[in-house]
Amino acid sequence: MRQILNIAFYEALHIFRNRVLTLMVLVVPLFYAAVIGSAYVEGIFDSIPIGIVDLDHSQLSRELVDDFKNCPQFSVREGVKSLGVLEREVREGRLKAGVVIPENFEKDVINSRGTEVLVAYDASNLISAYNIRKNALQVINTLNARCAASYLAGKGMTEGEIKSTLDAVSYEYQVWYNPTLNYAVFIFPGIIMMIIHQIGMYSAALSVTREKNYNSWVQFTASPVPPWKIYLGKSLPYFISNFFNYALLLWFASEFINIKIKGSTYLLVLLGLLYVIIVTSIGFFISVHSKNTLQVTRYMLLLSVPLFMISGFTWPKAYMAHWVSVIADAVPYTWMAEGIRLAAIKGLGLEFLRKTIKVLSLMAVISVILGAVFSKREKPSYFPKIEKVYYN
Amino acid sequence: MLRKIFAVAAREFQLIWRDAALRRILFFVSILSLLLFFAVYNAQVLRGIPTAVLDLDGTPQSREMQQSIENCEDLKVVLYPTNYKELCGIIEKGEAVVGIVIPENFGRDVTEGKGSKILSVIDGSNLIYANNAVSAVLTVARTHSAELGVKTLISKGVHYSRAQYALMGVVFRDEPWFNPTLNYAFFVVLAMALNVWQQCCTITASYNIIGEMGSRSWLQIKALGISKFLFFFSKSLAHIAGFMLAVIPLYITAFGIYKVPLECSPAKLLLFTLVFAVSVHSLGTLISALCSDSVNAVRIGMVIALPSFILSGYTWPLEAMPVFVQKAAKFFPQTWFFQGFSLLVFKNPGWEVLQPYIFVLMGMSCIFYLLSSAAAAVRS
Repeated sequence: MRQILNIAFYEALHIFRNRVLTLMVLVVPLFYAAVIGSAYVEGIFDSIPIGIVDLDHSQLSRELVDDFKNCPQFSVREGVKSLGVLEREVREGRLKAGVVIPENFEKDVINSRGTEVLVAYDASNLISAYNIRKNALQVINTLNARCAASYLAGKGMTEGEIKSTLDAVSYEYQVWYNPTLNYAVFIFPGIIMMIIHQIGMYSAALSVTREKNYNSWVQFTASPVPPWKIYLGKSLPYFISNFFNYALLLWFASEFINIKIKGSTYLLVLLGLLYVIIVTSIGFFISVHSKNTLQVTRYMLLLSVPLFMISGFTWPKAYMAHWVSVIADAVPYTWMAEGIRLAAIKGLGLEFLRKTIKVLSLMAVISVILGAVFSKREKPSYFPKIEKVYYN
Repeated sequence: MLRKIFAVAAREFQLIWRDAALRRILFFVSILSLLLFFAVYNAQVLRGIPTAVLDLDGTPQSREMQQSIENCEDLKVVLYPTNYKELCGIIEKGEAVVGIVIPENFGRDVTEGKGSKILSVIDGSNLIYANNAVSAVLTVARTHSAELGVKTLISKGVHYSRAQYALMGVVFRDEPWFNPTLNYAFFVVLAMALNVWQQCCTITASYNIIGEMGSRSWLQIKALGISKFLFFFSKSLAHIAGFMLAVIPLYITAFGIYKVPLECSPAKLLLFTLVFAVSVHSLGTLISALCSDSVNAVRIGMVIALPSFILSGYTWPLEAMPVFVQKAAKFFPQTWFFQGFSLLVFKNPGWEVLQPYIFVLMGMSCIFYLLSSAAAAVRS
């Protein structure tokens, strides 16, 4: 035990001596969370700039224009007089959508001839496109209900009869877990877990490669300390810092990005511990088998985007090519991202997380074995050779 | 002088090529990422959202209701729970994203004109599903409700077409412009691959100064008598040529093989990409000039490159971010590139729209190169 703590102490000393490493381990995770969180903090895309082309200029068309103006999701810009102007404004990015109310709009509605309102929107960004479509549909549905009620009242129907005709079947929809459809609630927990994954694994991956750079790794391999103690000693400071960052980032999300972290604290702690064990151990394993710090730095920091994309956290796995889904299932991040969504966002209990916890536990065991079992008699390919130009 | 430039550039290119890791990162990682991302977005459009329907009524009217849900293209009924608790469990486990409850006495209430309420429960934890699901549910609701209302009016002696226009007088016609099929692959895949590409370029550019001045061969290079400006200019030419060689296969694969639509001409897009490549190279060079070793230069380069795509406003719109974030994002070349890229690929507005983007990127390049020269001079 004393050997492990000794190694851990000197590892921690190394971390604090190297300013960049200290920043990476203690500051960068929170910095990333703050920078990315600040982009998503408002979470809902309101006041979408739209233009309305009113070719009818009737009372009913003005009512529809007012409906759009009163909708908080839209911000109506005046002065869009024609479809051509609308198209130019949307193409050049000044507007996100446009509504075109045709000529004879009011007349056609009053005479029950039917008419069409065109809602054209910029679909080059699908996040805003789906928002626009959903909200515009709601505005027009409301107008339809009003017009239909007026027509039926004109036919001499009583209020009760009108209600039973229009509301023959009424719909109520409830959005669970994210009632305001807040984008930050959707995406930020996954981003936090990716930050922990990247920084946690990367910093652990420097633990042995740093020794190789200084030619001091041979001191460890030549010592009577068994590999598993070297692994534990060198990884311990990173276990602690990674778990600290995990808790810190969840707290930050809850305090500053207004994401309600629900669910059992014990479950969150368990998930965090398993995840931190996995990323730290895999980082150590990579470190043992890499030549130098430069190699690790170059490759590891590129992992975040592909791992995030294949995880199914945003684009569902059911819609991916099967082989991608299979690869994703072998990645710890996939399970942790899903686990944090189930536990922290949906607030679900252990019975829903059994599979996730089992898989993460298995991955933890495998990663610990990978980290703890290495040969100290390996061919020393890390001894300095004639260096290539880019090796410092 | 041209011969010197060519010689240094060729040397630089050779060094990049001989460094196996750098060669893989610059020339293969982005194209592999593109292929992977196209496989991720294999389905391209989100249809058939898993839905569970709980029919507590079991009458012909409720089965008709169920049928209209099953006929909706955007929804795919996968489960038929027998009670509300089971439905909740299905949503909680993620086996369905939408749950629809047809209440007891639905058929009787609709027939007698008493009105009935259908409950839709949507799992809002994944907004890609949820936004689509809400629109789909609203459409089904609107259509079915109108159909029943039409039947009621017909029974009161109103002609069918009149009844239809009375209840659905205003038809909602939506026209998605620039991406008419609402294709997620077209929207996100190439941009994500370019994000990886710009990270790879940042890694490569971060070797520009420190990779040379920090190595033992620097003394020999100084002894050659070649001006530092000419030397680093030639190295930069090789790097930028490498960046463009790396991005061309991305564009060929995306536009040629996967048929991502391209509104502007390939030449225009390549020119814009070249301007960005210079800009990102200048930023990497500045980082390289300020850092004490290659490893730190790469780290800092990646610290900047990693969040830059999110801040660029390509996915989550810039207008939806707080004002101070919008302003801060404008200091990153990536913001101008991805905004301009979206304009070019989807909309192809005129040069006057694109000019600010090009000028800002060129301005950033000049500033970053100037600062790099100053820092390198101090180091030297």
